Amino acid sequence: MMKKLKRRLSLTLRTGRGLDESLSELAEQLTVEDRSQSVQEVRENGIVHEIPRIGSDGESEEISGTSDEKDDNISPVKRRHKNRRINEEVMKRLSLPADIRLPENFLARQSLSLSPDGQLTRQSRRKSLSEIGFGKLESYTKLDKLGEGTYATVFKGKSRLTDNLVALKEIRLEHEEGAPCTAIREVSLLRDLKHANIVTLHDIIHTEKSLTLVFEYLEKDLKQYMDDCGNIMSMTNVKIFLYQLLRGLAYCHKRRVLHRDLKPQNLLINERGELKLADFGLARAKSIPTKTYSNEVVTLWYRPPDVLLGSTEYSTPIDMWGVGCIFYEMACGRPLFPGSTVEDELLLIFKALGTPTEQEFPGISSNEEYVSYNFSRYKPEPLINIAPRLDHDGLDLLSKFLKYAARNRMSAASGMTHSFFNSFGSTIHRIPDTVSIFTIPGISLHRDPGIRSSSLAASGNRRRQSMLF
Amino acid sequence: MDTNAVKVHFRVIRFIQEAGLKLRLTSLPIATAAVIYHKFFRENKITDFDPYLVGTTALYMAGKIEEEVVKLRDVVNICHRTLHKNKPPLDIGETFWSLRESVASSELLILRSLRFKVVFSQPHKFVLHYLKFLKDWFDPHDWDTIPISKTSWAFLRDCYHGDMCLNYKAEHIAIGVIYFALLSHGMEVPYHNEADMKWWQENPNQPPKMVLSDDLTLPTVQNIISDLMTLYEMEILVQS
Repeated sequence: MMKKLKRRLSLTLRTGRGLDESLSELAEQLTVEDRSQSVQEVRENGIVHEIPRIGSDGESEEISGTSDEKDDNISPVKRRHKNRRINEEVMKRLSLPADIRLPENFLARQSLSLSPDGQLTRQSRRKSLSEIGFGKLESYTKLDKLGEGTYATVFKGKSRLTDNLVALKEIRLEHEEGAPCTAIREVSLLRDLKHANIVTLHDIIHTEKSLTLVFEYLEKDLKQYMDDCGNIMSMTNVKIFLYQLLRGLAYCHKRRVLHRDLKPQNLLINERGELKLADFGLARAKSIPTKTYSNEVVTLWYRPPDVLLGSTEYSTPIDMWGVGCIFYEMACGRPLFPGSTVEDELLLIFKALGTPTEQEFPGISSNEEYVSYNFSRYKPEPLINIAPRLDHDGLDLLSKFLKYAARNRMSAASGMTHSFFNSFGSTIHRIPDTVSIFTIPGISLHRDPGIRSSSLAASGNRRRQSMLF
Repeated sequence: MDTNAVKVHFRVIRFIQEAGLKLRLTSLPIATAAVIYHKFFRENKITDFDPYLVGTTALYMAGKIEEEVVKLRDVVNICHRTLHKNKPPLDIGETFWSLRESVASSELLILRSLRFKVVFSQPHKFVLHYLKFLKDWFDPHDWDTIPISKTSWAFLRDCYHGDMCLNYKAEHIAIGVIYFALLSHGMEVPYHNEADMKWWQENPNQPPKMVLSDDLTLPTVQNIISDLMTLYEMEILVQS
């Protein structure tokens, strides 16, 4: 597909048509073809081609002023064109939002800099990106406030360049301690994560007093979604969301990136049903924080027992407990362990899963905190009693996430191949990272039984209260 | 890079390591600070920025990145004390506040210059992992009497005095320092000669967990070692 695009590109360049025309045409092609063709390819020959840089939705994956050194390996396709450099330069531009409307004068300047040996240096590239309006606060209109989090305020915004909605995460820079540790980690981590199930960071804007991260905008978070359908979700949708959650996590875990704060409020969902992980980089908590910056209570509902008991050993299984809790909540319409204090949280866990034995939870009997709580011995409740809506496969999968010993919890990658997802077919395991699972025929959101007809209108106004962006 | 700049960088890294230890930071954040420092000066000219301010800021940022957060106040005080050993400790006053301010704004500058990419893969855990793996091959007595681990760790720490951390993969540096440590102690991995493959190279027929590295060649190891040796020569120049 890239080849075809490139051929087109060189054709349009040679025939001397306006660059803007061809750009916008290409942009259209990108959005349309990207979806249909890549899937066709997968189906026809079973081979998956990475489509670098261009996301499933054809949106920008480039971040202005902060471009990588990786500029050279834009496409694996061999270039044999004479005007190879020109093509490269234009291809770079294509990683801009597909529907971008470039100002006329920018294009004029651009054709000048495309002189035969006019290789664009990183600096001039950054400059030209900034001329388009990237990295500038003026390029975004601030709309309503979506929520306040640990260290940032999130606004809904609109890009003046593309007219797309964006989420503006405004980070206060208190001169006391400089940029917050979580913000630095989040940006640095997100820059490397390019996946259909991870929220895209479009732009970074820094001013004297604040650092603003520009994210793609998604309509709801999973919490709102569940509220809007009266907490009765279609089982197909549960499966679709859980699979996407696992897919995003498996990608992070492969890169040794932990999310550390999974909860429905951090899982964003758009109208198509695409679920994306947001809010990375929560600090490695030496002790569990109970209040956020804005004095909000930090939820303990999705924390694994080892973390609740003060474990500071952080590894990928700490995310998998939360996956189990979220899975249960989607399937059963209520939170699994809605504890209000650490003790309460542990008590709820033990009452449902049974007080752990040394065998189930190595080291538990010598854990000082555990001993000091002096819990009674509870017998495990059969999972079918607490999760009656789940079938055999679902119960099996749930029980594999809710293991006391962190090392026994099922990993995100193996969760994806569990028989619970057999109905999706096998193509789903072969799609490229940046392609949405909705490109696969037969996968689409079902109507949730509990949905109210007026809920769409209602949800528009409601704020994302607890979105700890 | 001219030798003058190399000397300056050498001294600043020494300063970063000293101040880092005083701040009770572990090896990882100190190494991260060094990487930030070198990366910054690969993009920027040494004449444009005060290297010690960059070093101080790098140290402060590394604490945040590796989640061993240190207070800005402590960073300013300790770095000042490390730099000016003969002067009295810093009072809370104009100098203190302006130093603080400088570090806070340099932080943003460095972040922008590094394009917000500040989480790095470091050789440390590879060194530990590889040493653990090699240990089983050695005679336990030899392993206990010859300080291979200590020497490797020392080489690893010293390698940050130059910018070799930017030129090689973390895994390769890890193998390079262990290889150099073995050489220095005149040791060889037992059965090395009988093996089909070098100990630091992947055997394609084996499962990946036995692997030390799948893309490392002897010339790269030799380059790493010669870079290290150049650094030790540099040390003499810096001190004279």
